[in-house]
Amino acid sequence: MSEIINEIQDKPVIEFKGVSKTYKTGTHALEDVNIKINKGEFVFVVGSSGAGKSTFMKLIMREEKANTGTISVNGYNLTKIKKRNIPMLRRTMGIVFQDFRLIPKMNVFDNVAFAMHVVGASTRQIRREVTKALSAVGLGDKARSMPNELSGGEQQRVGLARALVNNPTLIIADEPTGNVDPNMSYEIVSMLTAINKQGTTVLMVTHDHDLVHYFKHRVIMLDSGKIVADNPAGGAEE
Amino acid sequence: MKMSSVRYLTKEGFKNTWANRLMSVASVGVLVACMVVIGLAILISENVKLAIGNLEKQNVVMAYMKDYSWAQYGDKSENSSGAESTTEASSEESATEEQPDARGIKSSDYVIHNEEEALALCKEIEKLDNVESVEYISGDKGLEDVKANMPEGQEKYFTFLDEEYGNPLSGAAKVKMKDMALFDVTVEKIQKLEGIDTIQSQSDLAEKITAIKNGIAIAGFWIIAILMLISLIIVSNTIRITMYSRKLEISIMKAVGATNAFIRIPFVIEGIFIGLISAILSEGVLYFCYRVATETICKTLGTTDIVKYSDMAILLFVIFAVIGILSGAIGSFIMISKYLRKEGSEFAAI
Ligand SMILES: Nc1ncnc2c1ncn2[C@@H]1O[C@H](COP(=O)(O)OP(=O)(O)OP(=O)(O)O)[C@@H](O)[C@H]1O
Ligand SMILES: [Mg+2]
Repeated sequence: MSEIINEIQDKPVIEFKGVSKTYKTGTHALEDVNIKINKGEFVFVVGSSGAGKSTFMKLIMREEKANTGTISVNGYNLTKIKKRNIPMLRRTMGIVFQDFRLIPKMNVFDNVAFAMHVVGASTRQIRREVTKALSAVGLGDKARSMPNELSGGEQQRVGLARALVNNPTLIIADEPTGNVDPNMSYEIVSMLTAINKQGTTVLMVTHDHDLVHYFKHRVIMLDSGKIVADNPAGGAEE
Repeated sequence: MKMSSVRYLTKEGFKNTWANRLMSVASVGVLVACMVVIGLAILISENVKLAIGNLEKQNVVMAYMKDYSWAQYGDKSENSSGAESTTEASSEESATEEQPDARGIKSSDYVIHNEEEALALCKEIEKLDNVESVEYISGDKGLEDVKANMPEGQEKYFTFLDEEYGNPLSGAAKVKMKDMALFDVTVEKIQKLEGIDTIQSQSDLAEKITAIKNGIAIAGFWIIAILMLISLIIVSNTIRITMYSRKLEISIMKAVGATNAFIRIPFVIEGIFIGLISAILSEGVLYFCYRVATETICKTLGTTDIVKYSDMAILLFVIFAVIGILSGAIGSFIMISKYLRKEGSEFAAI
């Protein structure tokens, strides 16, 4: 399914050309990374701890800056992007955190609405979109619940709704299932897959081999800052 | 910016203040203390100015004129011809057309012959720069004043003065100046006018007044500058604490693409709010302090000549509001900007 989409696409959503990242501490987190991710793809990023997976994601979100090479994301050249355009870049992506990042004193609805408020959406728009996003993750009936009244899986679904609410073209998720049980992990990746089917590009870091085997998406494997494998979707992995 | 955003951000600002109420109250307390001290400094300096103004009013110079009395008793060393003629005139009849009078004085011996000429000279003094007002005090009036100021019962010893030998006091122009700093220059100018004999002045008092005024200005400047800096530090610190308590929110805001301006606004509103509350409280506290203090002082010193709070109320509030709003806005702006500049770990909350 996604291969077909790949063929239609001409310009990649994410493109790394000769990218290296060395932290101030001297750690070479990424070295000469070249990769293209097209619109509509679902990509698992795997690799051992310290391989550079999070660094790879941070470069895409422009939380970190590459030392060499060029990165383009959703039409923004991240090596040249002006500071004031970084928020605009981030509005094109939805970020899902491993630790959910829900605001404890806000209920589910307000947590999702928060993402819209802070980009200047109107109250009416917010009411409509938040309701839509919550039902998309199957939490339509939990809008008034507080985060501490939800299970880990439910909390992550709120996080997912928040990432979706501004209609991003790209979802960035660094170990979104790291803090939830296996069943819930499956649920969440299923949801991401469903969102992906609607055309949203999804990039997800995971340590969970079962998930990778089961879903048969494209898999990029990092080791010591280098891409050591790039298996296309369909299950020809390893 | 959209109305819904304005409403949202304002609400967030107030929520910050409330969520952080202990620190907010503490910083309002410190700000009020600073503002009250600034207000007291202003009120004290206004009162000193008022007192100095009274002194200045008294500190007039007397410009004595070369009139009949001067011709009779004055020191005419610069005018030797006149001096000779008077001494000789008393012993022998002069050959000139003009006859000296009973006291042997001719009209050419002096410059100011009558009140009209005296008033004309006063007019001339009035035209000089820095002269506020001129009043003509005739010799007779001057003598009356002298008598009036004498210790009781002593004036009888002096009555012989005007009866037998005539009034020894010359007429004088009582000159009030605008700016005491220009005292010496102005005295010099008056001195140069035709018909002025000596000028009795208290130039040292003028110097002292100018020194006091400068001292107050300098002290006031430093008091206000230092306290404003303290206010700024206090507000920024409060905002810093709010900011760290809202790290999670800020990290999410950044992740979903809120602009720095948008992230900043609630904090700036919180700062301004703290500043404004402090300004309002300061006005009340200062009013109370000033009233209590002045009531006691007035009773003790028996004076009523003090600056009224009501005359200063608006000015003080404006000053407090400006200090409060500025330190609130600047303090929070600096803090949040410093926080937002920190790159790399923007999404790393907690
Ligand atoms: N902010 C940082 N400053 C310095 N070194 C860093 C920083 N972040 C990561 N590193 C180092 O860079 C290397 C890659 O880190 P990264 O977080 O990308 O690994 P990862 O693949 O995400 O690992 P994990 O699976 O444990 O999350 C590691 O050696 C790490 O210690
Ligand atoms: Mg990681």
